[in-house]
Amino acid sequence: MAQNKAPSSRAWLIPALLCILCWGVWGLLVKIGSDTASPEQLQILFTLGLLPLSLFMLFRLRLKVDRNTGGVIYGVLNGVFTGFGLLAYYAAMHRGKASVVGPVTGLFPLLTVALAFLVLRERLNRVQAGGVALALAAVVILSI
Amino acid sequence: MTSWLGYACIAITLWGIVGLFQKLGTNRMPARSLVIWLTAGFLMLLPFFWSPGTWSSLSGKAVAVGLLGGLLNGLGSWALFVALENGGKASVVVPMTALYPLVTVGLAIAFLKERPTPLEWLGIIVALAGGAMLSYETVPGETAQSAQPERNV
Repeated sequence: MAQNKAPSSRAWLIPALLCILCWGVWGLLVKIGSDTASPEQLQILFTLGLLPLSLFMLFRLRLKVDRNTGGVIYGVLNGVFTGFGLLAYYAAMHRGKASVVGPVTGLFPLLTVALAFLVLRERLNRVQAGGVALALAAVVILSI
Repeated sequence: MTSWLGYACIAITLWGIVGLFQKLGTNRMPARSLVIWLTAGFLMLLPFFWSPGTWSSLSGKAVAVGLLGGLLNGLGSWALFVALENGGKASVVVPMTALYPLVTVGLAIAFLKERPTPLEWLGIIVALAGGAMLSYETVPGETAQSAQPERNV
């Protein structure tokens, strides 16, 4: 039985591990780049590097991109806020250790959970509540 | 507050808001379309970030690292989509992928010879655990996730 289940778990496990690897290496690259390039320069390069993938996605969608007005607004806002967040990330990487800045900036779901609670009235589960406590503790520890 | 931490908090704030927009956006269109509009948002920012000296002051290494960074980040997001589409439960896959800074920690120690202090190690471990736990979202009847009625705000 376990053997029957193995292939299906591999179908998602390998891409999930690939995701971890890609994002993890990206952190190292940002640290290396931030030694010599400004946040603005890095963001320009980041966008250009992302462009081939976005174009690939666009063609896979057969150029039929949803144009629901609300969705477009949130999508574009996502880009703008992510972009400015990246500028701050590059600045943090330039000033701090990648081994510390990486894990701390990974705490962004802290605010998402809080906003989802306030705006969408989503309830926190117990694991997330524990995560909030640990996230705040981490920031306090590293500010000492 | 050390200077890097201030910037890190700005990133957390802006990306935290993105997480909310993401929730609101995916209520209105599929994630794949949302990615295209996100790229449009990135492109809109470029004129503001570009200055006449942008290219001349860049080293070849910075260009290579910056371009590869954008590509890898995009590939990572795409791999996450695939993992979720291939039957990975969001409550398992998302907290798991939130552990990506672990790879950065390992690489920074191996290649950049970074040596976190004992207090920094404590912060790193607590932050990694906190990040993974924060991403743990339970969805009732998770296998039928797409059939869940979406909340409109």
